[in-house]
Amino acid sequence: MKALTANRLIDGEVVFWRNGQWVEQFGDAQLFNDDDPAGEAAEAHGKNQPTVVVEPYLIDLTQSQGLWAPVSYRERIRALGPTNLNHGKQADGGAAIEALQHAHGAARSTGRVDLIKRK
Amino acid sequence: MYRYDQIDKDILADRSAEFRGQVARRLAGELSEDQFKPLRLRNGLYLQLHAYMLRVAIPYGSLNPTQLRKLAWIGRTYDKGYGHFTTRTNLQFHWIKLADAPEILDALASVDMHAIQTSGNCIRNVTADPYAGATAEEIDDPRVWAEAIRQWSTIHPEFNWLPRKFKIAVSAAAKDRTAAKTHDIGLNLKRARDGVLGFEVMVGGGLGRLPHIAPTVRPFLPAQRLFSYLEAILRVYNRHGRRDNIHKARIKILVAALGAEEFARQVEAEWEKIGTSADLPDTELARIRGAFAPTAFETLPAVSEAFEAAKARSPAFARFARNNLKPHKVAGYAIVEISLKAIGQTPGDATAEQMEVVADLAERFGQDDIRVTHEQNLVLPHVKLDDAPAVWAALAEAGLATANMNLVSDIIACPGLDYCALANARSISVAQNIAAKFADAERAERVGELKIKISGCINACGHHHVGHIGILGVDKKGEEFYQLTLGGSAAEDAGVGQALGPALPYERVAEAVDTLVDVYLRERQGAERFLDTFRRTGVAPFKEAVYADVH
Ligand code: SF4
Repeated sequence: MKALTANRLIDGEVVFWRNGQWVEQFGDAQLFNDDDPAGEAAEAHGKNQPTVVVEPYLIDLTQSQGLWAPVSYRERIRALGPTNLNHGKQADGGAAIEALQHAHGAARSTGRVDLIKRK
Repeated sequence: MYRYDQIDKDILADRSAEFRGQVARRLAGELSEDQFKPLRLRNGLYLQLHAYMLRVAIPYGSLNPTQLRKLAWIGRTYDKGYGHFTTRTNLQFHWIKLADAPEILDALASVDMHAIQTSGNCIRNVTADPYAGATAEEIDDPRVWAEAIRQWSTIHPEFNWLPRKFKIAVSAAAKDRTAAKTHDIGLNLKRARDGVLGFEVMVGGGLGRLPHIAPTVRPFLPAQRLFSYLEAILRVYNRHGRRDNIHKARIKILVAALGAEEFARQVEAEWEKIGTSADLPDTELARIRGAFAPTAFETLPAVSEAFEAAKARSPAFARFARNNLKPHKVAGYAIVEISLKAIGQTPGDATAEQMEVVADLAERFGQDDIRVTHEQNLVLPHVKLDDAPAVWAALAEAGLATANMNLVSDIIACPGLDYCALANARSISVAQNIAAKFADAERAERVGELKIKISGCINACGHHHVGHIGILGVDKKGEEFYQLTLGGSAAEDAGVGQALGPALPYERVAEAVDTLVDVYLRERQGAERFLDTFRRTGVAPFKEAVYADVH
């Protein structure tokens, strides 16, 4: 599975794609099957919104305790917020957040499908 | 403290207005991200993992209470009530919105502050001895020179697009509190036998992927020739620096490739051509020096009864006095170090309230003077011993009285994977885990001076190469691993640490540090510091202990 993520231009907030909209919680993100061309189509769409988001990219997901979580630790931190202070999205709480917090089984560092390191 | 003149104020107002226009054009789609990114970086604005980050310059780590209060206000208004002091003595806000950035720059400008040259391939904020004007050890006040360098390097047209970023440090005493030898240029104030003031000039230090300790290219440069010599160095670098390869573009690579002697020869040749025209006129130097005229100190007895009584009464205060108070050049005064490394907290973080407490204390007891150290702590350089108990009590109430300066829990840690888009692994929580192991203040004191430095990636913002124990976050098949190095130093005896062995997983790092400390306590002779013992024994006993259970 994959999800599409970016940072919102105006405030830098981490956002996820959901049916043509950008949403703030990973739990609300639209999931794409690995072979579903809709994922790449959404990415192309996102790239055409330069005044809305910065550099959208697809991330790989993995199943953890029956729920989907980003493969990489980096993407989990983006989806939750920093681990030192409760200042990110984790502050909202809820089941989806908790599931992410307990997800384990990382596989790849960046988790980015295009594997280009962000600067 | 130096006061901005009308030229400085005009520059800041212009830059702020210019950036406001650039942000508006970006939001309107008139500028692409590729076009905008270098412009926002030139104003210290990065896009990190969760938000934009604004890096505010604190020139040579010197602040007045009004400025610190404004930083607190920005933290509360535009961030989440925090600021993060960095190893470059700057302050970073980690939760900034692009749309707010122009307002913030205006707020900074209102107190003579800015974010110019905190990013990009230009001359960055100068590091200076945080005890400037307060320690009897200093040869001359380094702020005079650091301020002159600030004025010279700000928007200097010739040096605004160097091959790579460029950092200068001014150390003022035999004891180096600036990590001078890890800077592109380290200047160490010296006095010749005949009394002439000058600098030892070290060039080509730097950490990152290829760490280098700066060699001395000129043992003594008369101080009045500083600017022509700096110009000569920058010109040689601008001409021959490797613009073709970002990993080889720092001046350290050029100096290493040419050899210090040949590099020095080329600089001298260029210097000859420049002549004295680029040097600072004495009148200008005198004007700047005037801004740092010593404050009026009172004539006080060397021993303060109030101070001695407080120590006798309170073991906690006595511990604070032992670890956080440093000798002042004037009898009856002390330099007070404020640790931003409370056990369990984020190294270098201060809340808005804490910043306000420090600003108040500087006003009431500290001659309006606050310093930031490259070790991510704060300093009140001029506190009367009589007032030290009151300062301590107020700090303690604000969670700022941790008595751990230079001890094992006084850890440098970069923001790492919790905030930084370039990170491989977290730094902050590793620091927190280690500090928790040494929460017992008595044990920490028994261990003595031990500098742990943690970076979340090879860019080395956490100075890991020069930690007595250095910790570098690496990425091993997608998991957080940490490479440990031992025996580095950022001080006058600077050196790059030696690898301990294979990288350790996140869960094992704090425990490994604990083991290293146990080995040190077992092996140490006399008054040896961790570093001294390591230098005597080598890596073997440490390595054996940490990896014993791995085999
Ligand atoms: S060392 Fe790496 S992870 Fe740490 S702040 Fe610097 S770039 Fe980021």
